[in-house]
Amino acid sequence: MESIIEVRDLTKVFVSRGREIVAVDDVSFDVFRGEIFGMIGPNGAGKSTTFSMMTTLIKPSSGSIRVSGFDAEKEDHRIRQLIGIVPQKLSLYPDLTARENMELMGRLYDVPADVMEERIDYYLKLVGLDDHADRYAGGFSGGMKQRLSVICAVLHDPDILFWDEPTTGLDPQTRQSLWKLARRFNGEGKTLIFTTHYMEEADNLCDRVAVMNLGKLVALDAPSALKQKSGSSNLEDVFIHLTGKEVRD
Amino acid sequence: MSLKRELLHSWIITIKEFRQLSRKKALLIPLILFPIVMIVFFGYGMGGTVNNAPLLIVNDDTGTASYSLVQQIGSQTSQYNGEPMFRVTYTKDMSQSEAKTKIDAGMYKAILLIPHDYSDLIENNETVTLTLLTDSSDTTTSGIIVSFMDQMAAGMGLIYMDVPAIYGNLEYLDFLTPAVIALTIFMGSVATTGSAIAGEKEDGTIVRILMTPVSRKSVILGKTIYQLILQLARAVILILAAYFLVGFHMNGSWLLVALVLTIFTLGGVGMGIIMSTRVDDMESFFQLNLLVILPSMFVTGVFFPLSSVPDWMRYLAYMLPLTYANNAMRTIMIKGQGLSAISGDLIILSLFAIITFSAGVYLFRREA
Repeated sequence: MESIIEVRDLTKVFVSRGREIVAVDDVSFDVFRGEIFGMIGPNGAGKSTTFSMMTTLIKPSSGSIRVSGFDAEKEDHRIRQLIGIVPQKLSLYPDLTARENMELMGRLYDVPADVMEERIDYYLKLVGLDDHADRYAGGFSGGMKQRLSVICAVLHDPDILFWDEPTTGLDPQTRQSLWKLARRFNGEGKTLIFTTHYMEEADNLCDRVAVMNLGKLVALDAPSALKQKSGSSNLEDVFIHLTGKEVRD
Repeated sequence: MSLKRELLHSWIITIKEFRQLSRKKALLIPLILFPIVMIVFFGYGMGGTVNNAPLLIVNDDTGTASYSLVQQIGSQTSQYNGEPMFRVTYTKDMSQSEAKTKIDAGMYKAILLIPHDYSDLIENNETVTLTLLTDSSDTTTSGIIVSFMDQMAAGMGLIYMDVPAIYGNLEYLDFLTPAVIALTIFMGSVATTGSAIAGEKEDGTIVRILMTPVSRKSVILGKTIYQLILQLARAVILILAAYFLVGFHMNGSWLLVALVLTIFTLGGVGMGIIMSTRVDDMESFFQLNLLVILPSMFVTGVFFPLSSVPDWMRYLAYMLPLTYANNAMRTIMIKGQGLSAISGDLIILSLFAIITFSAGVYLFRREA
């Protein structure tokens, strides 16, 4: 399998009020081209920090990340062209219409003007927002915002799509439709990287799942293999087995 | 439900409100300080007096009558705090046009010209005319000085005070407009820049923008260009409204006004960026904004001249950039002066812009 992302000895230390907090502690793994890769872990496990470092938003304290061969620290501008990101906060401009939000992202990602409108219409139709193209995003429901946020992230046809907690707070119909969308993008050859708190989502969608706990990578395998290794019938039991029952802040 | 129970519940809500208020320090401070600030600043600023106003007396007379006159003026004290009303400098042999250049340069608030035959005319019980030039770009101080001199002349009899309107017949509005424009641009650039970034932080849109291939420098530059266009457009609207609706007199160069406002807007944008990096949401930003804007609004001589305030307030004003913007705007718009007359103000405003903008960019890039 060809690695599209290589994470090596990754560590991130934050300093808060003179105290050092190790958010990510010497983590190494690969993400393979064309797979759906899930990251799960309790609150404070370090998955969002790892996600932010992979998307070049924050710099590692030590270790390295290579995305499509580019160094995340030195060649972040190259990486940003290759990736699409759906942030946890949907991050849409509420006083811009759906089309205007997409045009803005398209322009920032240098989508050629001659294909811009065509792509926008295609994606709006794909997620069923074509009738709402000229409505302000601020008036959209949570599900509509999530769909718009996703298509904003793929307008420039990225190789890799990062998706932070894609279905938190959404109804089952919207979750199903987003899973379908994820599979579609994956079928087109895109590599998908998720973080999620839903074990069912990770189980159903991901080819491999990384389990993080207290900043460390504690397991990485296909959901079925993880279940088999721990003798559990579902991923939630595997999760509790690996990360403990203690409630995290 | 009984009345007693209703009142008890109301009291619980009241206590809850106070408890929440006590934890919002940023709101609590302006809430308590605001009335004190209002009464202190407006009380001093609009109290109808001047302190230590620089006055030049050009005395071409050598008699005892003029000596007595200048003694009387020099010993005049403020009715509120006992401070001398004037800081008097004496000279002789100065023409009216030379005197006007001193007023133009902002060296004196007023210049009194005493003719060479003053004592002789007084001695002979003849009418004598004194010429009083005042910096009428500061309408309040000018008005107080003219009023004082008129009263003094009336008390002495046979003295007529000639007060040429060197910048035209100005009103309080003329004094107010240039500084209100500077204040509006300052408040606007700080608040719109800061609240926009704080709002984008709150809803996560700034993070999304920063995840794109667009550099942080481009993001800041885009926001700055927007602010420059917006604030200059607001200034034009304000000046036109003041001119057409209330008869403001514009005596200076539009280009210089644009230059001062452009530099000042850059400083305001820098300030807004710095403030936005210190907060996580819009509400916190607006509380912080109050703390920054209020002192500038009341201390820097927007509504009243700095010559009428006590020294401590004047020193505070000199530490705030709006003071220099106000001064530059009044010098251009009322006095019609050129670049050299505002060079000192421009240097300070440029330093303000460079420091706040650099710090803002640094903090934004570090945080984002």
